[in-house]
Amino acid sequence: MSEPMTDKDRPILETRSLAKRFSIGTRFSAEGRRTVHAVDNVSLAVRRGETVGLVGESGCGKSTLARCLVRLYDITDGKLLFEGDDITSKSLSELRPLRRRLQMVFQDPSASLNPRRRVGDLVAEPLRIHGKLSSREIAVRVAELFELVGLLPDHVMRYPHEFSGGQRQRVGIARAIALNPDLVVLDEPVSALDVSVQAQIVNLLADLQEKLRLTYIFIAHDLSVVRQVSTRIAVMYLGSIVEEGPAEEVFATPAHPYSQALISAVPVVETTPSGTRKRIILTGDVPSPLKPPSGCRFHPRCPIAADRCRSERPELKEHRSGRKVACHFPTLT
Amino acid sequence: MILSVRDLRVSFRTHDGPVRAIDGVSFDLGESEILGVVGESGSGKTVSLLAVMGLITDPNASIEGSIRYKGRELVGLPARELRRLRGNEIAMIFQDPMTALTPVYTIGWQIAEQIRAHRGLSKAKAMARVEELLAEVNFPNPHEAMSRYPHQLSGGMRQRAVIAMALSCDPTLLVADEPTTALDVTVQAGILDLVRKLRAKHKSAVVFITHDMGVVSELADRVMVMYAGRVVERGTRTELFSDPRHPYTRALLGSIPPLTGQKPRRLPAIPGSPPSLLLLPQGCAFGPRCPVRYEPCEADKPGLGNSAHAAACFRVAQA
Repeated sequence: MSEPMTDKDRPILETRSLAKRFSIGTRFSAEGRRTVHAVDNVSLAVRRGETVGLVGESGCGKSTLARCLVRLYDITDGKLLFEGDDITSKSLSELRPLRRRLQMVFQDPSASLNPRRRVGDLVAEPLRIHGKLSSREIAVRVAELFELVGLLPDHVMRYPHEFSGGQRQRVGIARAIALNPDLVVLDEPVSALDVSVQAQIVNLLADLQEKLRLTYIFIAHDLSVVRQVSTRIAVMYLGSIVEEGPAEEVFATPAHPYSQALISAVPVVETTPSGTRKRIILTGDVPSPLKPPSGCRFHPRCPIAADRCRSERPELKEHRSGRKVACHFPTLT
Repeated sequence: MILSVRDLRVSFRTHDGPVRAIDGVSFDLGESEILGVVGESGSGKTVSLLAVMGLITDPNASIEGSIRYKGRELVGLPARELRRLRGNEIAMIFQDPMTALTPVYTIGWQIAEQIRAHRGLSKAKAMARVEELLAEVNFPNPHEAMSRYPHQLSGGMRQRAVIAMALSCDPTLLVADEPTTALDVTVQAGILDLVRKLRAKHKSAVVFITHDMGVVSELADRVMVMYAGRVVERGTRTELFSDPRHPYTRALLGSIPPLTGQKPRRLPAIPGSPPSLLLLPQGCAFGPRCPVRYEPCEADKPGLGNSAHAAACFRVAQA
């Protein structure tokens, strides 16, 4: 993955104590109106040119956070800044020029591509909406984009169903980069693909990042894929970030007990007899974000929880340069 | 030998012509052995196991070859006979637990129904057995869980309920089709642990289908790699992972990003995508994507041979 570029200290995107809550039920339903704390107190700075990987179990709020970052969801609390500019409560029309610079790629390419339209048309759509290009110029740009993502020029006339999963995801990526965005949020971009095709898309994303100086926010449940593409990792649990740091460091020496359990649970190919790797098996399920536990939200499942963890919620603190952990008893080596 | 499959061929008649989903698959499975079947979508791993279970009921399907369960031929066995085996001696777990659970009955009722159908126990006895089973698959509060409906459980809990159901009649053969694919890694680790424990306790033989090489390496005794309806490599876990021979196995292992150590700048990717079963090349199906293909690969399909660790590849045979 490419190195962060100049003015790397100035975040391109930043959240300050960002929260997203959903209300569910009505006052007539059995439990009355309730609030789901999907994302809670997230402060994250994304620097230009880097890839921030968001990891965590399903329901930890990583996709909700991603959608808040591109303002697909309205933010309940906190601030969202793009290049230092507060965009938390900008109206849709004010956001429009920004949308060009903030794009998103979704998990299932067949769900995000209209089956009745030719893919050339689908890729041209953002250009028509945002650009001031003539139809000739658009055709040239579409051809350029197809080449960039590794599709053949005559593919423009095809329909999405005529492609394999990997090619469809290439179309989704072409659409996202059509307007030369600065930041692309990738929500599980390789999860729906065959194993043998995943590596192609991971490589393509790396190439595009280098060529187009993109900044990525990468979400995937496959931790080895996240490690491969990310420069930094943020581990989420029940709506909050519990650990943040350089990808390779966090994977090599996770400091939060949750990160340790998560990383140790990944099955890896071993040639030696099994059982050589130490595995931490978490008991119980992720608690409901309707009723988050008191104190540290991880304490009911934490193997090292103490009394303090039940009452006092740990803050995400920087323990060493670049390594932040939200735990009263982090493992620091 | 619990299960012995010989030269299994499954094909479907479609509008676009016949599709051979399984083309000559053979394998054996001994008592309390775990066989890992790895492959991508369309490789035939699911279809071959559906054939074993007698669950291919499509009138356009034709099944040839031999499937022997404890020496008894299953191909052509009447549906009633098969039904007596399924759920009783042969159990299954699927990727999505909701395909095996009905949303309108409690977990306890559903598991008890199976026990009563196959074992003829009284309702009270069956319910007592359900509680034991749920405790065995690590439900924190089995008695309470019995009165829960599937929608009240998390994905991991549902999959455990399905496993409890599969184990309810002490199966000799358990077929698990991507049972952990939809689950988080933390939950997956618990389920894999469970499968290992159950194998030790019930002596069940397990066929575990997955696309995840890591899962296979953690769980399986022997491994079978499938591509486009054929077995391309088979061997023990150690043989396969320390000495992968087929170019597809090697490439697949190479394309997995490492979890520790140096990150490669680029992943060694396999070009192209898995072939359509309608348009299979005449020679080796992996040929068009293979880095070491040469003339013989285009003319003929390589055979697997008879050795314990075998790869269906002309290059390997030549070496």
